[in-house]
Amino acid sequence: MMQLIVHPSDELPIYRQIMRQIVEAIAGGRLRHGDKLTSHRDLAEQLVVAPLTVKKAYDELELLGYVETQRGRGTFVCAQPPKVKPAEQRERLRAAARKLLSEAYLGGLRFKDAEEILREADREISSGRAASAGGVRREKEES
Amino acid sequence: MNPVLEFDGIARSYKRGVPVLDGVTFSVEPGEVVGLLGRNGSGKTTLIRVAMGMLHPQAGSVRVFGLSPFESPVEVKKRIGYAAEDQVLPGHSTIAQMTAFHRYLFPSWDTAWERQLLERFHLDPNARIAKLSKGQARQVALLCAICHRPELLILDEPGGGLDPAARREFLEASIQLLNRAGSSILFSSHHMSDVERIGGRVVLLDGGKVFLDRPLDALRENLCVALVPKASAADSARLEREPGCLRARSSGEDWHAVFEGEPAAVSGQLAASLGANGIRCFQVPLEELFVELLGGQR
Repeated sequence: MMQLIVHPSDELPIYRQIMRQIVEAIAGGRLRHGDKLTSHRDLAEQLVVAPLTVKKAYDELELLGYVETQRGRGTFVCAQPPKVKPAEQRERLRAAARKLLSEAYLGGLRFKDAEEILREADREISSGRAASAGGVRREKEES
Repeated sequence: MNPVLEFDGIARSYKRGVPVLDGVTFSVEPGEVVGLLGRNGSGKTTLIRVAMGMLHPQAGSVRVFGLSPFESPVEVKKRIGYAAEDQVLPGHSTIAQMTAFHRYLFPSWDTAWERQLLERFHLDPNARIAKLSKGQARQVALLCAICHRPELLILDEPGGGLDPAARREFLEASIQLLNRAGSSILFSSHHMSDVERIGGRVVLLDGGKVFLDRPLDALRENLCVALVPKASAADSARLEREPGCLRARSSGEDWHAVFEGEPAAVSGQLAASLGANGIRCFQVPLEELFVELLGGQR
């Protein structure tokens, strides 16, 4: 089974690291509609982090529309990824792209290098190589 | 729900006129994990001893489950688990004798969990306490502190003297307790990565008082560190007069200052106020925040 990984001294707080890896798994198609997430208590024991931290990550993902908690059954990946207005989405991506490029240029990289990095990231998201998508199992496979 | 632990204006000194604690007030709610942080000598152990009813405060009051640990020591201790770095265990007894004694004391003792933990920690029940390594002795102390599923677990520097693997096992056991019993935990620690792992809230002691008391995530996401070139401000006090500045100190070529707010907003504010360029602001992990808030060279 693939594993989530958390780093306590990362620049992101742990709950955000968990959120990011689950969102990447959904974006990369490794987590699909109806897949069940590991319960927050079990994931807390696996990752050795506070149960409330995992719960916070799940709650935030639910607010954003990625997952849905059904009382007594668990937390499941939603059918539709959250709806963002296409214009808004493009604007947000443009800001992220500017940030990425300025960081690249400050570090002495060229546009070509940044392009290559984007391609690598794409491969990582689709394959889950970037320490993503774990603590998560498919209910369908189990039953 | 009522807090499980309440400190109200706790003051304590060991030497007249030199207070270790000088009016400490905060509480721990049911299910909360609170990391008690501060430099050496900041009074963390003193405060924990007050909570355990081991040390009378000279002012203020402490309530555990709404009771005084001095007036109702038995009722309170039945519901608490406690392990401390300097705890002395009976060297002549075996681990099995110690756990049997605890099983006798606590009707809620979870024997199955005791067995699991003995195995997890690779402890031989027939080993004498005196023959154990320091780390193994700490593991026995933890086991005795949690197997009765206390409502409140109080740990004084639980990671002290433990290797990283043993510290991780210690954390795992604490998380099991949170999951099984919905307990609250108050723990002091110098291991910031452990605090990031299990802490929900951070209470920072400095100068005998609570300097900061916030949810860990808020600390990480609402505070940032500004690096200000020395030429841009006369001294650290100039920065501490800026709105939102918690602390400023000298570090090499720069002033380092901790601010409330987003890095972009803070660097904008400082650039305008100081009329300077080259100010950089970052969000940083807890370890860096600790150093920036409590480190030397004010």
